[in-house]
Amino acid sequence: MTGQAIVGRPNADGRGRTALALVVAAESVFFGTLILSVLFLRASQTGWPFSHPSLPQLVVPSVNTLILILSGVAAWGSERAIQAGRDRLLKLGLVLTLVLGLVFIAGQVFEFTRSGMHPSDQAFGGVFFALMGFHALHLLAGMVVLVINLARAGLGDYTPSRHETISLGAWFWYFVVAVWLVLFAALFLV
Amino acid sequence: MTFGRLPIFVWTILVTSFLAVFALPSLTTAGGLLLLDRQVGTHFFNVAQGGSALLWQHLFWFFGHPEVYILILPAMGIISEIIPVFSRQPIFGYKAIVLSAIAIGILGFTVWAHHMFATGMPNATLAVFSADSFLIGVPTGIKIFSWLGTMWGGKLRFKTPMLFAVGFVALFLVGGLDGIHLAVIPVDWQVTDSYYVVAHIHYVLFGGAIFGLFGAMYYWFPKMTGRMMSEGLGKWNFWLMFIGMNLVFMPMHVLGLLGMPRRIYTYGDNLGWGIWNLVETIGAFILALGILLFVINFFVSLRRPATNEADPWDAFTLEWKTSSPPAAYNFAEIPTVRSLRPLWDEKHPDLADWRVGE
Repeated sequence: MTGQAIVGRPNADGRGRTALALVVAAESVFFGTLILSVLFLRASQTGWPFSHPSLPQLVVPSVNTLILILSGVAAWGSERAIQAGRDRLLKLGLVLTLVLGLVFIAGQVFEFTRSGMHPSDQAFGGVFFALMGFHALHLLAGMVVLVINLARAGLGDYTPSRHETISLGAWFWYFVVAVWLVLFAALFLV
Repeated sequence: MTFGRLPIFVWTILVTSFLAVFALPSLTTAGGLLLLDRQVGTHFFNVAQGGSALLWQHLFWFFGHPEVYILILPAMGIISEIIPVFSRQPIFGYKAIVLSAIAIGILGFTVWAHHMFATGMPNATLAVFSADSFLIGVPTGIKIFSWLGTMWGGKLRFKTPMLFAVGFVALFLVGGLDGIHLAVIPVDWQVTDSYYVVAHIHYVLFGGAIFGLFGAMYYWFPKMTGRMMSEGLGKWNFWLMFIGMNLVFMPMHVLGLLGMPRRIYTYGDNLGWGIWNLVETIGAFILALGILLFVINFFVSLRRPATNEADPWDAFTLEWKTSSPPAAYNFAEIPTVRSLRPLWDEKHPDLADWRVGE
């Protein structure tokens, strides 16, 4: 009967949300200090490349960013789908999020190799490598959650009233998408 | 129970937890970038290739300064529990202590560069970080006066936990005053990276945090084990540590002013530092003897027959209402907390704190 009692109060204790909020808070400081480090390095030297990139240089990163935003929309769609009890749409949303995320990471690797930069090219080569790399690692972490969620969706674990990990996985994904928008601005627009 | 009636120890742990969440990621950043520098060949901290050594210091101290409050705030909470019980009075200035803990938590993030006064930062930056560092003395001073106010006019019982708590107040005060000296930029320039700084950190973190933890061990050991620790050994433990610690760390002020730098393993005979280093060595042995007595006391007390006394200190807070050690499922129903001293209220219904003003 205890099991049923727990089933009877979906997401009631909110511990998952609190934990995610703490993760997001700590990760925000991590990326915040990373970005401030980049700005600090930039300010302390002259001759920083890409300080005013031309529009053609921005095409690949911009398209890539658009793809990541779309993956965020797909994550949002998956959460809405399970709220409406549409199981197939939930799975479709998760798969779409994963595929678009992988395309984004491939695009990042392409962009970094295409630029001809190397991590050991002065300080700025490392900056691109570190910012894109740490961000991609977070995407991969989010994907682990999404894959587990997809497997559980396949087992029919979720109902319109009980799907906390779907929401948590989606929220972490929104966070990582939002972080990229800030990194994009710091790397290409400032 | 409401937030306004939480024990101060719980409040300080809450603030400490927030500090940990927001301070440690900066160390992750520093460590991550260092790892890339060492293993991948990036140049974040390599000045020759456009990196910055100063960046390391900023990232490290943005973590490192809040970290010292992570160490000291729980100890401040501990002695805020001990001092009222052994003064037979409610804590003086509960709200002031809680708000000052929160203020220390917030201000702790704005003073990191005072560890870097000698790195050639612009004057405006120096001025801001110096002013912030002075500012943090205000909530700290509020706490010191609140502890003194709690003891003032009380029936003081100098059991071992109380000795460590009062020792904390005295030693932390010395460290706090050192801190004020170091916030003055010209003074800091003179004594930076000297033993003066080593004296400061040990008065706040050894005299402060460590004395608080020893007080906590003596205070809560009966609750955790159902056995009292020996008072006789405890008093020897305290006095040897107190005398030893002052012999080790007080002369460091003199050595710092005499120009002895930190992080050296030897020095010339003609510098006049020998006598003070000798005093420190003797003090270190006395200090170690005191800590050895604690270890002996701990294990001997564990082997004593259990008394399982629930409330040996005639204390005020709820943990002393349940058995020692607390049984699983300690409270059959959630106790109603009507004041800061729920157990006092229960023992003295006519004098209950919540009746004050009725």
